[in-house]
Amino acid sequence: MRLVAIDETGHKAGLRTGQTLSDARALIPGLDSFDHDPKADAALLSAIATWCDRYTPLVALEHLPENVSGGCAGFFLDISGCAHLFGGEEAMLEDILDRLRAAGFLVGAAIADTPGAAWAFARYSDRTVIAPGAHETALLDLPLAGLRLEPDLLDMLRKLGLRTIGCIADLPRAPFAARFGNDLLRRLDQALGREDEAISPRLPVPELSSERAFAEPIIMQEDIERTAAHLAGALRPGLDKRQLGARELELKLFRVDGHVVSIRVRAASPVHSVPRIVMLFQERIAGFHEDLDAGFGFDLVRLNVLQSEARQNQQTDLTASSGQGEAYGTLVDKLGARLGMDRVQHYVAADTHIPERSFGLLPEAADQDSAAQKLLWQDAARQDGGKAGPVVLSRPVVLFDRPEQVEAIAEVPDGPPIRFRWRRSLYCIARSEGPERIACEWWRDGRGGHSRDYFRVEDDEGYRFWIFRQGLFERETRHPKWFMHGLFA
Amino acid sequence: MQGNRQDMAVLQEAVARIDRRHASFMPGIRFDGDPANGLIRFGIPAMDAVFKDGFPVRALHEVRCSLTRDIGAATGFLAGLLAGCMQERQGRIAWIRDPACHLDGGQLFPAGVSMFGLDPARLLVVHPADLKTALWAVDEAAKCKDLAGAILHVKGNPAHFDMTATRRLMLKAQHNGLFVCVLRQGGEEEASAAATRWHVKAAPSGADPDLENGIGLLRLGLVLERNRNGRTGQWTIAWNQQRREFEHAPTDIVDRAAASSDRPDRAPQMGQVMAFKRAS
Repeated sequence: MRLVAIDETGHKAGLRTGQTLSDARALIPGLDSFDHDPKADAALLSAIATWCDRYTPLVALEHLPENVSGGCAGFFLDISGCAHLFGGEEAMLEDILDRLRAAGFLVGAAIADTPGAAWAFARYSDRTVIAPGAHETALLDLPLAGLRLEPDLLDMLRKLGLRTIGCIADLPRAPFAARFGNDLLRRLDQALGREDEAISPRLPVPELSSERAFAEPIIMQEDIERTAAHLAGALRPGLDKRQLGARELELKLFRVDGHVVSIRVRAASPVHSVPRIVMLFQERIAGFHEDLDAGFGFDLVRLNVLQSEARQNQQTDLTASSGQGEAYGTLVDKLGARLGMDRVQHYVAADTHIPERSFGLLPEAADQDSAAQKLLWQDAARQDGGKAGPVVLSRPVVLFDRPEQVEAIAEVPDGPPIRFRWRRSLYCIARSEGPERIACEWWRDGRGGHSRDYFRVEDDEGYRFWIFRQGLFERETRHPKWFMHGLFA
Repeated sequence: MQGNRQDMAVLQEAVARIDRRHASFMPGIRFDGDPANGLIRFGIPAMDAVFKDGFPVRALHEVRCSLTRDIGAATGFLAGLLAGCMQERQGRIAWIRDPACHLDGGQLFPAGVSMFGLDPARLLVVHPADLKTALWAVDEAAKCKDLAGAILHVKGNPAHFDMTATRRLMLKAQHNGLFVCVLRQGGEEEASAAATRWHVKAAPSGADPDLENGIGLLRLGLVLERNRNGRTGQWTIAWNQQRREFEHAPTDIVDRAAASSDRPDRAPQMGQVMAFKRAS
């Protein structure tokens, strides 16, 4: 067993990562050790990154190999245009560090022009805020490890007497690249700002967002709803200016202890009015199985518009709607917000003859263009029941998702059954029609798929069933099985 | 005192006049028996006779079946009824299913529903996670003026769904002019505020004129167990696929006498009908 991470006291006592646990125990007999849990580490990092959203929407987890990361995990925060909201860069950095230290983390941070420079200063320097343009000269005194390099490369450079970034910054480039590879120069250029480095934020930046911070944390659900209304009101001018309505919204509640609650809602049609937006969140919160855990309260609430669409400005009908009751869109929004959008659905037809695959359910959206789908249904209806078509009610009204196997006895192997046993009761067939053969879809089921022979049967009490025999006798199988698939009216 | 009484009479008359004027705009309140006011006729004289002005579409109804295997018959009857009721009306129909029904009751088959003349694209299918939210959902649906109808499919007799809940649904249905229907799968009859309650059972179909041993027009044994505005009754009806409507289908067995009109009507049944026969 080896050490993966060591805390501050461990460092002081002379422990190193990679050491075996027995060696470390020999050095410090009373050493506390815990099993390494990468998943929990990742979860914690992601929780901290989520918390960092309160400073800027652009938060990136750094993705560096374990041996390059300088012994600790880190984040990049792009604070362009955000610092003034917190009273300047120094104040912002202090706020971040204070809060993280209060939560018990050992943190270092720096603000610089490039991600690479900030990375180096945060780890290998005491300077925290590097003035714009000053990082190039300031970097020269830092050790080469600040360039995010592989340990092997660092060793090699150290043997050559190259210890600080200043040693290599102005050396001729071509021989360097030939000897040490592109990585060294790339990292150097990134740190100095000669080459752009993009950080990859975890979350997409919301199209619009408004937030409100509280000196005294809020706990009550009514307060949260009122805040949501206030924030929605603040978003309104932005939406109006662009003629947009929100399709997907997110309410982020930052709890005092660092936990972040995110409530997402989707609207069936673009919404912009404050009461509609508040209603969506009310229904969503009401649909939670347990109450919102407010703990010691939320000190920052933010409303993000994640997805927006052009608003349809429809003139309201002066005569038809009498003002009572709700509109259809509101109902769908309400049901979708409380139950989840995937539980409020509509039927769509699919182009296949296998009954259970011939239709699907899609989430309902008020502005969907289902003209094509409707055509398909009408076609089906006309073909089966129109004036000219055959007058047969050939499809059941109730279909079982999974055909249920029945024990059936047929007179001849490929004829209709005489009696069958379904769900432990026996049915004697009085009338039957069929078969209607539906071949398997070889392009989906593969070579071994069996055809189905559907029979409409009626038993002596009048129950009408849709049952099928899977597999053609002797051509596909010796022992075809029977299945119950639907109930007729 | 005399003057006051006269003033009172004048005021009352004025209020009545205002009421009448508003009522004529308000859907769901019936002044005469035309379809615009949500009253339809089945086209079967025996059935229309029990509804004085017509079948009230804008109200709460109940369709039930005693056994799970009858759910096909009950769904078919409801689909035919819906298709008949919805010809005049635009708007979607919310079909809300209690998750308990799904296990043994299967699901709606759009291709089959469309054969009854009901466009499946008009259905808004809601699958709540439990019965409580299902009841909430149908309450919300009944409030929506753009919907044409709301169906609540429940299994058995859930305790939450009581007289108060049905009364609330009935009021909303009348107020917003919706067809609201409870489809009860395999339940007992239960007191409710519904305008009508139908019990549906599959009945043996007649002979097919074209096909030997074929299935003829599908028949349903229908019992109108409860009717708020008239008598109850019992008929066997058949679905005429060609004309897309129900028609009276007299069977060889003479229709039994209609259940008595003054409730409570029938002697309580002894024992309980189980959903399935034991095979062994």
